[in-house]
Amino acid sequence: MRLPRRRLAVYCVAFLFAIVMNFAVPRLMPGSPVDSMIAQLGPRATPAAIAAIKARFGAIEQPMWQQFVDYIVGLAHFDLGVSVKYYPQTVLEVLGRSAGWTAFLVVTAIVFSLSIGVSLGALAAWRRGGRFDSFVSPFSVVMIAVPPVIIALATLFIFGVTLRLLPVGYAYDPNLDPGLNFTFFGSVFLHAIMPVLTLSPYLIGEFQTTMRSSMISVLGEDYVTMGRAKGLSETAVMFGYAARNAMLPVLTNLALMLGAVFGGSIVTEIVFNYPGLGLTLYTASVARDYPVIQGQLLLMTLATLGANLLVDILYGVVDPRIREGRA
Amino acid sequence: MTSGLALLWRQKKAVAGLAIIVALCLMALLAPVIAPGDPGERVGRSHQPPTVEHVFGTTKMGRDVYSQFVWGARPSLAVGFATGLAITALGTIVGLVAGYFGGRTDATLDLATNAVLVIPNIPLLILLASFAGTVGPLAIMAIIALTSWPWGARMTRSQTLALRNREFVVAARMVGEPHWRVIFVEILPNLVPLIGINVVGSIIYAIVAQTTLEYLGFGDPLRVTWGTMLYNAQNSSAIIIGAWWDIGAPAAGIALVGLGLALLNFTFDEIANPQLRSGPALSRWLRLNRRRNRALEVGQ
Repeated sequence: MRLPRRRLAVYCVAFLFAIVMNFAVPRLMPGSPVDSMIAQLGPRATPAAIAAIKARFGAIEQPMWQQFVDYIVGLAHFDLGVSVKYYPQTVLEVLGRSAGWTAFLVVTAIVFSLSIGVSLGALAAWRRGGRFDSFVSPFSVVMIAVPPVIIALATLFIFGVTLRLLPVGYAYDPNLDPGLNFTFFGSVFLHAIMPVLTLSPYLIGEFQTTMRSSMISVLGEDYVTMGRAKGLSETAVMFGYAARNAMLPVLTNLALMLGAVFGGSIVTEIVFNYPGLGLTLYTASVARDYPVIQGQLLLMTLATLGANLLVDILYGVVDPRIREGRA
Repeated sequence: MTSGLALLWRQKKAVAGLAIIVALCLMALLAPVIAPGDPGERVGRSHQPPTVEHVFGTTKMGRDVYSQFVWGARPSLAVGFATGLAITALGTIVGLVAGYFGGRTDATLDLATNAVLVIPNIPLLILLASFAGTVGPLAIMAIIALTSWPWGARMTRSQTLALRNREFVVAARMVGEPHWRVIFVEILPNLVPLIGINVVGSIIYAIVAQTTLEYLGFGDPLRVTWGTMLYNAQNSSAIIIGAWWDIGAPAAGIALVGLGLALLNFTFDEIANPQLRSGPALSRWLRLNRRRNRALEVGQ
């Protein structure tokens, strides 16, 4: 199967844009981030470390294009620089520690919300104008409009502080040793409940809204009428004929929403003190650990682009018209 | 348009949404009247629960939460609305130009739109904000507007593409009207419902992004906004020690704006796209239909 060249161009431009931002922003902003970073290092500021930071942030006597080429070559060798806060650890090591937890949260939240949102959307479209629809659909739109900070704080206050039902920090009980046993998995599960529940309302709202409007237009298609005319049961027509095809726009939306989900996960991890990328980014931004902040942007951009690419491929598999290039 | 307004008025959801927004805006405008005095002033002991004297309690610094809530509405709403308008203006112009001119202009602009669309916004915002240090409201506005116009641009572009070859547009071009006139006088008025949806959606997004940035501590800590109130409350562990009023007031404010705008947007969507309607008219039709079916069954 072949990907449209235009999509690939879009991803290249987006990735290049992220790289250029990373390169240009520290060099354009007033005030020197280099001095503040060297001050951060304190006694650990060896000449080698200072030279590395200076080279990375443009405080050297070298033409701009030379610096940019060096920067790109460094990236190509997975060199994202050295963390200032956790010196001498590299940015890659710092991000690697937490990326897994964020991936776990985001994927769990997406799978959970996808199943709920799509079913709610399909049902609302099926009985459009009914009591279910006129309650659930406005509710979804409201869910999209409430910032994740608010939901996170409310969840934390109700379930974590007042009812004391769920643990309010960390990815698992710090007294446990990570291992392949039920106690550990149980602990990971319990600690993930509140963060996942915080990320979900926005996602469910988006999935429900997209699914509902796409399902409404699919329900007007001839093949749905045909299914009904054949005397198939309601559920067979709804899931086998309509919902299957209505899923496609939801997929596209999912990939585009990933950026927003990362934004939500940053806030969620901070509120619940969950050791993912968001918390790392927060500590980095408090400590003005610029290399980590930059690495974060690249990593999240890559993840979003990867997801979009995956959806493009999936789309081709699911929709034969696109696979054969006559969309 | 009149029928649109009538439809808007008949919708309970839209009226409720509008009422919420108007009430909050009035509160912000009347801040000197309903909450006289400096919101940054220390007026009581630390973290006092709500009393008659301080209806929303006090913060860790002993400031009156009610006064902060009322005054904080001003910058939060102003930045949210202004940024939403800026996002919409950018997106609409890019979409119109791309859709109208087509060809290479369209290819370039569409590429840029899709590229900015897939870059995760909040991490990009954090990168920009962290290098800029603490950022004032204007910088927050600029950063948010520059990273979030593509949604609107995409919608506007596809609508413009559908309109550009319609008779009235072709006629205007034939008469020799300049491009800018065709775009802004012939095409733009047809996009008004879409722009309405875009404005409300963008304001929602701007308020979410602004709150997130300020909550992360990138706002100016000396200005009282709902976002910095959340930040200060978080830093004084208000939730853990049970001072729910300190976090609850700004959170409720932001959630209310979101609720009001969402209710408005839901109705805008239904006006622009009748297919999505589920309001009173549709329920009435469904009811009639059911009654008719029952009558038919009885008749058989």
